[in-house]
Amino acid sequence: MISTEQLYQTLQQRFGFSRFRPGQLEALTALTAKHNTLAVLPTGAGKTLIYELYGAITQQLVLIVSPLISLMQDQVTTLNVKGEKRAAALTSMMTYSEKNWILRHLHEYHFIFISPEMLSQDQVLSAFQSTQIGLLVVDEAHCISTWGPDFRPEYLLLGQIRHQLHDPLTLMATATATERVREDIKQKLQLPQATEIVQPVDRQNIFLSVERFEAQTDKEERLVELVAKLKKPGVVYFSSKKKANEMAELLAAKTDCKVAAYHADLDSETRFKVQQQFMQDQLDVICATSAFGMGIDKNNVRFVIHYHVPSDVESYWQEIGRAGRDGQQSVAILLYQAGDEQIAAFLSEETVPQENEIHYYFQQNAPQVAGDEKANLIWFYKQHGYSEAQVQNSFASRREQRVTALRKMMGYVRTPDCKRQYIQQYFDQVQDVATNPEHCCSSDEAQLDFGVLGLLATATPAQSDQSSAEWPAILKQLFNF
Amino acid sequence: MDATQLMRFLSPTSPRRLRVIENILVGKRTVSTLYWGMRYHQLSWLGYEKKLSREVMDQAVHNLQTEGLVTVEQTNAQLTQQGAVEQQKLLQNSYQPQHLKIRLVVDVETFWQRLLLATQVVSEQSYQNRQYYPLQTSWQVKQTVKRWFRQFHGADLQTVFYNFWQDVFADLPSDQASFMSRLLVGHERPGDTLQQVSRDFQMSETEARLMEVDLICQLAKLVSQAANSSINALLAGLNHSLVSASANQTLRSFMAGESLEVISRKRSLKLSTVREHLLEAAIMLPLEQFDYQRILTPELVAQLESRLNGFPLDEWQFKQVEDLPVDFWQFRLLEILRSKKADDKH
Ligand SMILES: [Zn+2]
Repeated sequence: MISTEQLYQTLQQRFGFSRFRPGQLEALTALTAKHNTLAVLPTGAGKTLIYELYGAITQQLVLIVSPLISLMQDQVTTLNVKGEKRAAALTSMMTYSEKNWILRHLHEYHFIFISPEMLSQDQVLSAFQSTQIGLLVVDEAHCISTWGPDFRPEYLLLGQIRHQLHDPLTLMATATATERVREDIKQKLQLPQATEIVQPVDRQNIFLSVERFEAQTDKEERLVELVAKLKKPGVVYFSSKKKANEMAELLAAKTDCKVAAYHADLDSETRFKVQQQFMQDQLDVICATSAFGMGIDKNNVRFVIHYHVPSDVESYWQEIGRAGRDGQQSVAILLYQAGDEQIAAFLSEETVPQENEIHYYFQQNAPQVAGDEKANLIWFYKQHGYSEAQVQNSFASRREQRVTALRKMMGYVRTPDCKRQYIQQYFDQVQDVATNPEHCCSSDEAQLDFGVLGLLATATPAQSDQSSAEWPAILKQLFNF
Repeated sequence: MDATQLMRFLSPTSPRRLRVIENILVGKRTVSTLYWGMRYHQLSWLGYEKKLSREVMDQAVHNLQTEGLVTVEQTNAQLTQQGAVEQQKLLQNSYQPQHLKIRLVVDVETFWQRLLLATQVVSEQSYQNRQYYPLQTSWQVKQTVKRWFRQFHGADLQTVFYNFWQDVFADLPSDQASFMSRLLVGHERPGDTLQQVSRDFQMSETEARLMEVDLICQLAKLVSQAANSSINALLAGLNHSLVSASANQTLRSFMAGESLEVISRKRSLKLSTVREHLLEAAIMLPLEQFDYQRILTPELVAQLESRLNGFPLDEWQFKQVEDLPVDFWQFRLLEILRSKKADDKH
């Protein structure tokens, strides 16, 4: 049995911290007592530390199931940089021989990241069946819930897969989950008795603001104004790559800030450079798409602005969770223009196949076009023995859920009452109004001067001297001459 | 690809096939694409933009049309008078690539990934830093650079790289040296993205990308000639032949004297495929590396030329000679021969 003292020791030696963040110790204590655990910790609260520390202390294989294929490699790199070399990501981007090599050498690894699709492949599953798994982590566990906005049907297999892996100790981790989603997660993973560690999702150090506009030009002007005057660094979210690119250009032209777009279309060199510039405070603002997560953990983000309305409260909350991880005052601003909800509705609806599409794909055999997500989705159900009627029903209710989810999001935008209370209610975590921070939200203080929050840029942006340097200086710096 | 770049590939004197221009950029090696690519002097761009979509291509054409710079008939486009003027301006005022041809024999994309990562690794080594985020590259590139570093890390790479880059930049025009140096990644220096550099140099991203690729091509050439073994090793295994592997095999049998029928049987290829292989080889290789006379006997050439002389090459029609004992592929080979004799610079 691992003692609390040992946990603190490892925390100090391996991570250099003397204190756990809220929820971490509770989750670790539950796990070391061999309790399956559902941990709901806000983004940036250090979910990963839980399984990293558990793996370090038990020296057993930690298998992390994650839906974020694009982030897995980043997660491995992060572990590498911290000195943990025995980490790998099994992804569909690997060649056959690479994958085989890792599967034959599982015992040499401490951390393996994998997608549910990959884990359900026979060859992969049987490799893991014959190895001892110390901890199974279901990351972004809300993906298993049909009530969650990021529902992924492949996650439905995990309950079964877990049995096939001989029921290893399991950590289900998610950033935001309502009571209903939490119940659903436990039920789908067939772990109704799991210990729940739930941290408040509320982020007291983030001022919540919504601003309304009649015309797009007004909204653009306001974005330029905000980016120019707010304390950096910051992130602006868009719902399309095209708009993210355009606005990155506009902001670069109209402000003194160093700005870059960041989305799934970037090549890996550009992605790396943008990430690292941001990490090293050489970039003031990132214009990102919501569909694309960021494999970076940056503590001092001062503002998150949404240029478009997200399609549900979970996504919104997850995205603004990038602000103020250092606990310092930060702000989340949603710029809403009448009619924006139609874009959100369209994007949200687009992800769920329509009746005629379901019928069409049900007549087809295996998906013809690689990357046809809808075809793959229907194919998944068909392969797993669902009838067309069942699938039609389940997607009909899914479409309804998406509509409801957007309505709830719009409720946040429109409510004249406290935004914070609204979020707390949404996540079934209502607190006394008295616990609200002094400066809480735009419903309470519509015309709040960001200076009051200490969020006005004091000097000109921290421009790096990178751009002005000439090549001899660059070479001297690069090679330490 | 944008409208400006498309203008580069068009001509004011004759219509050009948009599908050929597109297929060359995408990198399709069909004989007809390669033949017309050669006629348009576009072969060095083969596979320059593998992800080019029809949509982007159509948009570029549409933009040129709206500005009155091209006329389009079916899928052929020709520069208008105004278009020709604009093309001249473009050729004078924008970056002109000179080294793209090396792309046909060296995988410059992988070379750049290796060199960029190696530069970062050496830069961090210069600061004795072991904890850093390495550039995200393909698994193969990562493994290659790891092995490379293991082999050479004792070789004072710090000085080698410092001197190497210094020589490279000193030889380049200063704006190009500055452009390229800003792309480099290393210790506490994440490097600028191409978009950021293009913004500062007031170039379109398309033009900046062209300059980048051309500079990388130049680098590849330099490195292949470099005396230093550690730098040189970064090119290992990246050479490929001008001709696709399968066509190359056919070519070797052919040059060894085997008949087309024998090659076809031995390699279980259709005779038409064997012929296509030979045409590909003829188009891609220098004149002297292909035995034209074995297929085009002097008598046949004389017969064909008596019909075709007096017509510009691009107006030759197979139907002018189809009653003669000649196959279309032989006719095409004569066209290739003529084209090569007329200008060697393809
Ligand atoms: Zn409030």
